[in-house]
Amino acid sequence: MAKYSIAISDVFHALADPTRCAIVCALVGGAQTVSSLAAPFDMALPSFMKHVSVLERSGLIRTTKTGRTRTCALMPEALSQAEQWLAEQRALWEARSDRMVDFVERLHREEQNHVTKPKRSR
Amino acid sequence: MSPSPSAADSVVLDDPNDLVISRLLRAPRSALWRAWTEPELLKQWWCPKPWTTEVHAFDLRPGGAFHTFMQGPDGGTSDNPGCFLEVVPQSRLVMTSMLTGGWRPQKSWLGFTAIITMADEGEGSRYIARVMHPDAATREQHEKLGFFEGWNTVITQLEEFAGTLR
Repeated sequence: MAKYSIAISDVFHALADPTRCAIVCALVGGAQTVSSLAAPFDMALPSFMKHVSVLERSGLIRTTKTGRTRTCALMPEALSQAEQWLAEQRALWEARSDRMVDFVERLHREEQNHVTKPKRSR
Repeated sequence: MSPSPSAADSVVLDDPNDLVISRLLRAPRSALWRAWTEPELLKQWWCPKPWTTEVHAFDLRPGGAFHTFMQGPDGGTSDNPGCFLEVVPQSRLVMTSMLTGGWRPQKSWLGFTAIITMADEGEGSRYIARVMHPDAATREQHEKLGFFEGWNTVITQLEEFAGTLR
């Protein structure tokens, strides 16, 4: 297993909310201020800020404050690590399935040999 | 060891969040069922050598505990308590990591539900595993993020990694 510098579960938790996922999608095009990000959402600013801070804690975005303006930017590393994690899950299940197939086919052959050539009769 | 099936054979894309694995076996469904439901057999293939599997609980009924514990040569461990949701002899097993025995909810690191199906096919049997992870993003959002293309596009880069798990 690869080492991850972020908590993958935090990333998935962050993305599992439609508002947060939409924020991340909006940031794919480039950094934006909180007020422009919040504009399309019918949501009070404090509620919107809660989503922003969940995203920031997960490592998906970074925010910086200049004067009274807070700007959000996407941190692509978190997304790519989450994707890598998914890739590993897939590899794990693929490999597990291959081992299972080998095992079951061997088991079946052994049982057949046992049936056709019994070692002792009852 | 049988050769690796092609990507097209082993993966069926449906919901982009689900990992679906399909295999055709030269063995009857009864053998497949045994390999999954007899802990002594399951632990022989569950994790890659030199890792070893201990089956801490295997209560094969809906709500019954399914708990595996894996140990690596360098002291690494992986503890996986879970629960069966559905048990249809010789054809279907559903399990989750989000509950433990007796349907008790647990905080799972990243929860999943796996649906294992087994069916007769030709001279042998068809095995399909669908592994679902929680995710509320829409397909359009996935496309926008370029994310979760993983299932589709990373197959080649994974072959090497998968090889180390066998």
